[in-house]
Amino acid sequence: MGTCGIQVKLIITTTILFFFEGMLAQEEQPHWSFQPVKRPAVPDVSDNPVDSFLDAQLEKTGVKSNDPADVHDLVRRLSVVLTGLPPKPERVVSFASAYSRNPSKAYSSLVEELLASSHFGERWAQHWLDIIRWAETNGSEANLYRKMAWVYRDYVVRAFNEDLPYDQFVREQLAGDTLGRGEATGFLVSGPHVPAATVGQIPEAIRQARADRMDEIIQTVASSLLGLTMNCARCHDHKFDPVSIDDYYSMAAVFQDIEFGSRSPEFGPDHPRRKRGEALLQRITDERKKLRGTGPWQEDWGGYREVHFGAAKFKAIRVNFKTPYVGIDELELFGPDLKQGNVALASKGTKISGPDHMAQRGRTTISRINDGEYGTMAWRAKSPAGSKDKPWALIEFSEPHTVSFVRLSTNREYYYEVDYLNTMPKMAFSHMKIQGQKLNGQWHTLADTHYIDTLNKERADRAAPLKNIQELIVNYAEQAPQPSFVGRFIEPAITRVMRRGSPENLKGEVMPAAPELLNGNLELTSKTPGSERRVNFARWATHPDNPLLARVMVNRLWQYVFGQGLVPTGSDFGRAGAKPSHPELLDWLASEFMNPKREKIKAWAVKDMIRLLVHSNAFKRSSRPAAHQADEALFWRFPPRRVEAEVIRDGILQASGKLDSKIGGRSYRIHNVKKTYAQWEVTDNHGPHTWRRMLYQERMRRVDDQIFTAFDFPDCGQVRAKRPVSTTPLQALNLMNSPFVVEQSAFIAQRAEQEAGKGEAAVKRCFELILGRQPKVDELNSCLRVSKSRGLKFVTRALINSNEFSFIQ
Amino acid sequence: MSNTGCISPIGRGLLDRRSFMRTAGLSMGGLGLASLLAEDDPTNFSGKTPIRPQIDADNPYAPRPSHFNVPAKQVLVIYCPGAVSHIDTFDHKPALEKQHGKKADYIPKVTFEGPPGNVAKAFWEFKPRGKTGKMASDLLPNMAQLVDEFCFFHALHTETAAHPQGENFFNTGFTMEGFPSFGAWVTYALGSENSDLPGFVAINDPRGLARSGKNNFGSGFLPASFQGTSFTAKNLPDNLKRPEKFNAVDDQATVDLLKQLNDSHLEQFPGDANLAARIASYELAGKMQTSVPEVMDLSKEPESIHREYGTESGSDLRKEYAKNCILARRLVEKGVRVVQLFNGSDPSGGNGITNWDSHENIFKTHAMQAEIMDQPTAALIRDMKRRGLLDHTLVVWATEFGRMPFLQGNGTGRDHNPDAFTCFMAGAGVKAGTSYGASDEFGFKAVDNRTSVYDFNATILHLMGLDHERLSYYHNGLERRLTNVHGHVVKEVLA
Repeated sequence: MGTCGIQVKLIITTTILFFFEGMLAQEEQPHWSFQPVKRPAVPDVSDNPVDSFLDAQLEKTGVKSNDPADVHDLVRRLSVVLTGLPPKPERVVSFASAYSRNPSKAYSSLVEELLASSHFGERWAQHWLDIIRWAETNGSEANLYRKMAWVYRDYVVRAFNEDLPYDQFVREQLAGDTLGRGEATGFLVSGPHVPAATVGQIPEAIRQARADRMDEIIQTVASSLLGLTMNCARCHDHKFDPVSIDDYYSMAAVFQDIEFGSRSPEFGPDHPRRKRGEALLQRITDERKKLRGTGPWQEDWGGYREVHFGAAKFKAIRVNFKTPYVGIDELELFGPDLKQGNVALASKGTKISGPDHMAQRGRTTISRINDGEYGTMAWRAKSPAGSKDKPWALIEFSEPHTVSFVRLSTNREYYYEVDYLNTMPKMAFSHMKIQGQKLNGQWHTLADTHYIDTLNKERADRAAPLKNIQELIVNYAEQAPQPSFVGRFIEPAITRVMRRGSPENLKGEVMPAAPELLNGNLELTSKTPGSERRVNFARWATHPDNPLLARVMVNRLWQYVFGQGLVPTGSDFGRAGAKPSHPELLDWLASEFMNPKREKIKAWAVKDMIRLLVHSNAFKRSSRPAAHQADEALFWRFPPRRVEAEVIRDGILQASGKLDSKIGGRSYRIHNVKKTYAQWEVTDNHGPHTWRRMLYQERMRRVDDQIFTAFDFPDCGQVRAKRPVSTTPLQALNLMNSPFVVEQSAFIAQRAEQEAGKGEAAVKRCFELILGRQPKVDELNSCLRVSKSRGLKFVTRALINSNEFSFIQ
Repeated sequence: MSNTGCISPIGRGLLDRRSFMRTAGLSMGGLGLASLLAEDDPTNFSGKTPIRPQIDADNPYAPRPSHFNVPAKQVLVIYCPGAVSHIDTFDHKPALEKQHGKKADYIPKVTFEGPPGNVAKAFWEFKPRGKTGKMASDLLPNMAQLVDEFCFFHALHTETAAHPQGENFFNTGFTMEGFPSFGAWVTYALGSENSDLPGFVAINDPRGLARSGKNNFGSGFLPASFQGTSFTAKNLPDNLKRPEKFNAVDDQATVDLLKQLNDSHLEQFPGDANLAARIASYELAGKMQTSVPEVMDLSKEPESIHREYGTESGSDLRKEYAKNCILARRLVEKGVRVVQLFNGSDPSGGNGITNWDSHENIFKTHAMQAEIMDQPTAALIRDMKRRGLLDHTLVVWATEFGRMPFLQGNGTGRDHNPDAFTCFMAGAGVKAGTSYGASDEFGFKAVDNRTSVYDFNATILHLMGLDHERLSYYHNGLERRLTNVHGHVVKEVLA
């Protein structure tokens, strides 16, 4: 095992030691990132500790730092870094004016304004989603859409906006199900996966697929939170870091209860989604009250159907189907008090029976309809040819229950887990008669769906409440707690080491634990419930003794502020990664993040850490090159950089005035509704429904959006600490010729003319809207020429394509 | 450099922006990681020193030297999604005739799609072909005529029986998502010989993308510059054309204005490679607007060529594919480094309708695919030979796995066989008219000179003058390779 050198040393004789002296001298100390975070003294150089460390280094190397940036560069840089949006022209002007009077006050108030903006959370959520390669499709063969996965994206936006302390953010993502933030576990299933249906029937392949899914989970957790390349230890001990194959599988044991799929997230009473759901449900209840007394009715909930009738206490319920074929994965019975739950469940002692001779094949018995499992394991019954008998189900309670409605579905799992397929299974049942046996043994008809149809036609007073209910249901499906692709829980299997990573080559059992080198023994066993494992892991991960969590995160914050991390390999703090350029600064930041010594600062406060960084002189420096061409990592200037795809797209929409700045909700679609195994195709990537921030564009694994994907948008396959920045002719073509840009450049030109009139004023307005500055004389003249001869929209098209628009400096 | 002292031996050079800008060249972004290229870099599993291509930011497609001298300068990959049946095409198994219609003791209880049926002999007759007398079936009569050019690999085996993972594995070296494709690796290493066209072109099937979609020609974690640009004889790359409402003067006005804006902006950042690279990318884009339609224009190809490839006969899909074959040849002629030509798409049309996946009625569905592929592909290879293109171009014909020597439970189709399948190579550097390795007497498992997909990919890279153990790229803790930590070059097939 490749653990620390100290162990090795014990078994090596001094003679041999002689030869290995040099090597062991290095090995004696654990790798820097595994050593405890020690708070270094701040060099007495500047008011901002960040500058103190940086300036001390600059002084030592004799490199002269740049002067402060130009006011226009500064406001644009700060806006893009904090919110992902360039400043509006008016804000540029007001900032410039305030800055000329009192630079530090003007700057502070801009920082506060941007940190408080709800666009801040959107910007930083984008970074976090990148780190964990979150996407709304599975990847793999069918690349199916993960229904409601976006509730996790909204959670992340909210977490950054509300300045959720980072340790709490981590706890919620690992074990949000225990904290009333169930949707946060979307984190664990952010990676791609191969769904069971496409793995095939060979048992070895099924086991391999599960091992692969587990690997995705480990990749996510270890790289994002710990900067550890744990997955290198899947087949053998890590080649460079003291992480053993046992460590890998111990960590797998921590997450053994997680499976890719959907569940209804656990929401605390204060959760906005839960509150919204309760309010909607109340309105539905109010509408239902209007129907009571008018007879039974049906409700279509998309994934299932409900038949409501007068509440009463029953010994048994019988459903007589009127069609010769039915397919039902679950039949549920509820009373007015929803807390009572589904009383049809077999686990409640309820007895189920039906016409055995009608069941198709052995696997589709009637017991499927009250086993609590949704999906393809359904009851399928068919009348024998020529018979007038129809399928029926009899549900007999162990003790009488109050029942007021029946809920039925054919494949609710499919409905809950995927979307946008033109092959979605339909309900395999239609008309039915529902009967109840009262306590006196008498049977009564409670509802007959044919009769319901007649009632609906005859009683005009039912129309409004029925319509209202259907509308509320649509809102409920979108806004209330719903099954969402944030992972589902399974009974954790015993975890064994897989030699060479093969599930067919099982070795010793391992207990749930974090890596040994980081004192990861959690004192858990294979019997510990899944949630408890994750809670304990989260406690270990967020403990101040863990040297990695804070270091990795402050480095990420630094990277997204300055464009490059103090440790450039942001998800690899191991020996194969790079060392920090400023180790003391990194440790000071990590220590201050966990245990702030400044007044009134809360521990693990992300916004404060970002505030500290953007207030540094280093951040405010000009990005112009200098003759000395010194190492960029000295931060003698703010390194200029190309902005991400999102910033380009959002910036164009802001300039045209078309940007809908609604926060959160379902992603806007640019793709078709497809067949299960087809590829997604772009249908409309530029229409009005897409005029939202690109954070809300469906993140589809490996699917090209035909415009902005070309700008190094991640394919969300493998984790990446950072997006590469490459320059390709396809980017140029997309930004010159795509319908999106062509349309938007016309909108910007229109807007400029509306707001400023024609000619020179319009050109100037275009510069303000797109670049946030006035044109220089020669620029103005050339633009006027183009505007007059070809049209203003060619000026805006050129401005959108300019280097200045795509870079922050 | 000021603070290189504090950097790990592995990361030395990483923070040296100046040297980095010269070497990796593209930008300070993710490419920063590419410069983790210390001489003694221990992260490469092979224990060998990685060889890093020197990429010029202004021109990432500039030609770069191979690791060693080889005849092949370019590569054409003809990829057949869905899994072509080896025992019905090029892997002759007379033993199946005796067992035909019977159970056999080697048949497993369950294969990919479930319980299997009985043994089935080849659905098409095998005959000796060419001077070598290599046995090939009547399913691909035109390709069969060329067996003397081919070097068959009969003992290939793979790690998965599922298509998307199989495609990923064949084309990216990993079953999982997100790794760079073969074409991206080669383009990253070698750049391109043509400065007006992308270095790597993916010609997708007329029916659409294959099951793993963009993975097959994507750049994974390599810079986006090295991904395959997708177009066909029929469909231009996205957004290549000037918007319909605009005319050439409009475009020129935009371009001139853009140049002025960028030049003036560059004055503030003299020598900035990122900005310069972006200006250059617009120039290449402009060239592509002419060069791509030009290369796609088959109207000047003589009638005899159209006839030979079959662009005017057979099924509509065959005509389309035949045009793609001519396009492939034209791209090779123009010096494009990697051309990946697909024969088959995803399976959304059902069994065997859109690719080679023949779980039902293989006799019908394989014949349908063969009609599309056979004549145009044979014409393409013959034409390339005639023009001397095979002297410096490697041709690879590949599929993700084979099919079973027995039928499925339905009695009409063959299920996936990951343990034995056949691919072939031809052209520059390859020993023509040979077969390497063998499957067992039923074509069920590879037995002699078993060849993994890693070996196959290592061999392709070798034929392109690249050492598969030294062509690597730092990504998240590892020096990643196309062949992971595996692969041996099959020396026996080298000419």
